[in-house]
Amino acid sequence: MDLLELRDISKFYGNVKALQNIDLTVKQGEWLAIMGPSGSGKTTMMNIIGCMDKPSNGSVVLEGTDISKENAKNLTNIRRDKIGLIFQQFHLITYLTALENVMAAQYYHSMPDEKEALEALERVGLRDRARHLPSQLSGGEQQRVCIARALINYPMLILADEPTGNLDEMNEGIVLDIFKQLHRDGSTIVVVTHDPEVAEGTQRTVVLEHGRISRITQNENK
Amino acid sequence: MFLRMVKGALFRQKGKMLMIAFTIALGASLATAMLNVMLDVGDKVNQELKTYGANITVMPKGASLLDDLYGIEEGSGVSDQYLRESELGNIKTIFWAFNIVDFTPYLNTKARLNSRNDEVELVGTWFSHYLNLPTGESLNTGMINMKSWWDVSGEWLTDQDENFVMVGSLVAGRNNIQVGDSITIDIGGQTKELTVKGIFDAGGDEDEQIYAPLRVAQEFTARPGLISRIEVSALTTPDNELSRRAAQNIKSLSIKEYEIWYCTAYVSSICYQIEEAVTDSVAKAVRQVAESEGAILEKTQLLMLLITILSLVGSALGISNLVTASVMERSREIGLLKAIGAHDGAISGLVLVEILVTAVVGGISGYFAGLGFAQIIGRSVFGAVIDIKPMVIPIVAVLVSLVTLAGSVPSIRLLLKLRPAEVLHGR
Repeated sequence: MDLLELRDISKFYGNVKALQNIDLTVKQGEWLAIMGPSGSGKTTMMNIIGCMDKPSNGSVVLEGTDISKENAKNLTNIRRDKIGLIFQQFHLITYLTALENVMAAQYYHSMPDEKEALEALERVGLRDRARHLPSQLSGGEQQRVCIARALINYPMLILADEPTGNLDEMNEGIVLDIFKQLHRDGSTIVVVTHDPEVAEGTQRTVVLEHGRISRITQNENK
Repeated sequence: MFLRMVKGALFRQKGKMLMIAFTIALGASLATAMLNVMLDVGDKVNQELKTYGANITVMPKGASLLDDLYGIEEGSGVSDQYLRESELGNIKTIFWAFNIVDFTPYLNTKARLNSRNDEVELVGTWFSHYLNLPTGESLNTGMINMKSWWDVSGEWLTDQDENFVMVGSLVAGRNNIQVGDSITIDIGGQTKELTVKGIFDAGGDEDEQIYAPLRVAQEFTARPGLISRIEVSALTTPDNELSRRAAQNIKSLSIKEYEIWYCTAYVSSICYQIEEAVTDSVAKAVRQVAESEGAILEKTQLLMLLITILSLVGSALGISNLVTASVMERSREIGLLKAIGAHDGAISGLVLVEILVTAVVGGISGYFAGLGFAQIIGRSVFGAVIDIKPMVIPIVAVLVSLVTLAGSVPSIRLLLKLRPAEVLHGR
């Protein structure tokens, strides 16, 4: 079953064509990598899939509903209810503890539940670091808090932008193991990455060049 | 969770929040100090001005009429009209009794000095008179309070100095009179030898007069219990259109206007009430003094108000800059909150509550600091304590809230424009 469908998507910033005529379908439970050089349109595509931006042309269909014409308020609701976002820079709130960062996502979604937030941190191996501020955590730990925050509201789509871009090899391994486990549990994951090692772990790799899909590779070992 | 976020923002960003609180405190302290001084400055300036003399003169009705119609200031029909000394206490029983600061009676008569032909004026008055009022209270009043700026060589008289006088500097100069000399006063063939206790320089017509205790003058002129006029020093409200109309024709006022006028400390309403209290009297404002006082008071209050407004505008700009800078610094955090599902209203609410909590802390600190500033101003400018006005508290609270909200508007607008994609991914 298709969870996400991009139909003839284009995005222009003035005269710059960031994306041109993109057609892409993501199935439920699929793990997809989007690769490409800098300026190829990866981040623009992620922003459009993550409801943080709208396409100039074309439509985005999520769970059978065209969301490309929704207003900012509805897009916020869709993002809140259906999408979990993971960032390269982690983007944790500096004055909140790891636990409170996770609970903040719960608060804007429904009701904060400390027990559930602690369980989410336990899933990423950080229960004992729950009361620490981001400044007291390593980069890998901060990224795991970011993953716990993305997972807390059980999103139907996890969008990760260069999730291992700022991590050392050991922490990269930990984060990829978490993604593998999420995939095994049935989560749909779209990862934007430069790292071929990350892409190799996914089921399918979409390569963007100059705002167009240049090739789609099925990773046969999956 | 909302409170945890607010708490986190406040306590874990102490530096920024303290800077905003300090700016608010500065504005609040200036507003508190200026408002307290402004509301109290009327009384302070009035009291200051009252040290420069009386602003109301009370005369017998007949004498006043001749003076008004024909400009006759002495002679038959003027000099032989009197008020009763026994009614002086009534002045402190009028509606505006507490605004009557001082008053003193005068009994003027012509006399010859040292048997020469040139006449001088002998004035009987109170110097420092202890008066029991009809209300049961008591009052100490007289020339020493009313003419505090007189330059006196020797000493002031007291009301018990029955064989002493004070001589005006011009009279003393003309007649080579020194402190301690004896002079002879002749009134209608009756002579009395008196010792000069003081020579004064008043800088006015008084320098041509000789002053004695009222009782001495009354006995000398055989007019016991009588006085020629009264000078009254009263705290007054600056005149306005209503008081001017009342001064011209009291019957032109409606009942409501009359009540407002009567119950306001205009110099004209105080005069009216004095006339009610003293039989057959006419009370008149010394217009120049009253108007000058009103003008000085209005200008001082206007100056204070302008300083208050400017300090609040400065504070609003400071808050605006600081809050906008704070929001700019937190743009990623705010973008993230939007990305994880926070709506504009929720984020604006969060930022506003943070700022308002900071404003409460800054406002309270500023209020108390402002009370201190007010006392410093009071002591250095007026040499007196500034009364704390409770009404300043709600005014400052409203002003701080408005200034904080107004100062936050640009940052809130900026915040609403932030798009998560731009601040999180640079798009």
